[in-house]
Amino acid sequence: MEVLSDNALMLKVKDGELDRLGLLFERYKRPLYGFFYNLNRNAELSEDLVQNVFIRILKYRYLFRGEGDFKTWMFHIARNVSHDHFRKNKLNAKDSIDDWQDQLGADENRSTMFQQEEELQLLSMAMDRLPEDKREILLLSKYQEKKYKEIGDILGCTEAAVKVKVFRALQDLKAVYKQLEKHM
Amino acid sequence: MNRERIQELIQKYNSNVVDPSELKEIEKAIESGELDIAELKDLKILEDQLFRMEDPSPSLHLDDRFYQMLRSEIKSSTSGFSWSKFFTWPELLPKLAIAAVALIIGIGVGLMVNRPAQNGEEVAILTKEVSGLKEMMMLSMLEKESATDRLKAVSLTEDMDKVSSKVTNALLQTLNKDPNVNVRLAALEALHPYVNDNHVREELIHSITKQDSPLVQVALAELMAAIQEKSSVNALEKVLQNDKTPKDVKKKIKESIQILT
Repeated sequence: MEVLSDNALMLKVKDGELDRLGLLFERYKRPLYGFFYNLNRNAELSEDLVQNVFIRILKYRYLFRGEGDFKTWMFHIARNVSHDHFRKNKLNAKDSIDDWQDQLGADENRSTMFQQEEELQLLSMAMDRLPEDKREILLLSKYQEKKYKEIGDILGCTEAAVKVKVFRALQDLKAVYKQLEKHM
Repeated sequence: MNRERIQELIQKYNSNVVDPSELKEIEKAIESGELDIAELKDLKILEDQLFRMEDPSPSLHLDDRFYQMLRSEIKSSTSGFSWSKFFTWPELLPKLAIAAVALIIGIGVGLMVNRPAQNGEEVAILTKEVSGLKEMMMLSMLEKESATDRLKAVSLTEDMDKVSSKVTNALLQTLNKDPNVNVRLAALEALHPYVNDNHVREELIHSITKQDSPLVQVALAELMAAIQEKSSVNALEKVLQNDKTPKDVKKKIKESIQILT
């Protein structure tokens, strides 16, 4: 059976073959959920946001021209969905790097729950301590497979600026990781 | 920045002995593309770990909600007219565009029709330009191989209020030389409005003896009788004297001569 590219599928959705969106949903529900979950650590909310992304894809399907990458377009929408949600609910997405120590007690319990994957859990905890913009750039880098130009399209900045943002975010992640390591 | 300095910075970074000013240098080298983040060992390990982190899975509840939403969307898109759909922006936009174009055309036509006298010159210039274009198109179409195209070219003159001598000469030439009888007859008909022009009248008379088609001969004889062109009698008599002229044609020509004399 012919495997249609993301762009080809989305163009069919645009042309009225709405059922084709199901295939795109199957391809991207998990990365999208991972993106949201790593941003907000709320399973229910993350599912709501994934659903909202696909509602917006349907609503704005006429805007998809097929010139760029579908995944980039989708993450652009995902980012807007996430920002709109937090703006509406006036929630501070997460704590800044400065007050991570306040919650360390809770994290200690958490780390004992996942001893087998200690390193990854530590990393996950370090990610939680990063300011939202830094966490977001690292997650975009992960889900966009380090395509810095495409990430620049999503964030509205140059490829060089994205590289610097990723570098700074990794630097901060490294610092938090080392701090957490000392307390373990 | 030269490669040696970059290598030095990488080594210092990887040995954790880099100072803040050197960190700035590293940042600049990353920005310019001279240094890849992957060359910085600690960051590479961290990034790899981050990328390896398995994505959590959403519950089946998400699937249910998504497919329910998709089904209802497909249903509403296939069901007929709905006011809410009519007024959604993507649906409304083309309709608004068509309405706007129609409005602009309407205003334009209204202004043209009610144009004040001082703008009369502009209209005259425009009309002249349009006529010029039509003439050019007609003349180029007369050159075409297809008889249909040449017929179309001849019929274009019907829409022209005034034509230049170029057009009448082209029509006369078509009348005399076109290989297709229908085109020649159409050219003759197209020349009717210009029979008051002396040059056209003379050329029509000359054309009588040049024609070999009975239909065109009869049409020309009838036209001469209709416009009472007495000087055409000689030419008509020459056709009568020609042995090749069919009897019926001769009869018609005789009738025309009788009217003229």
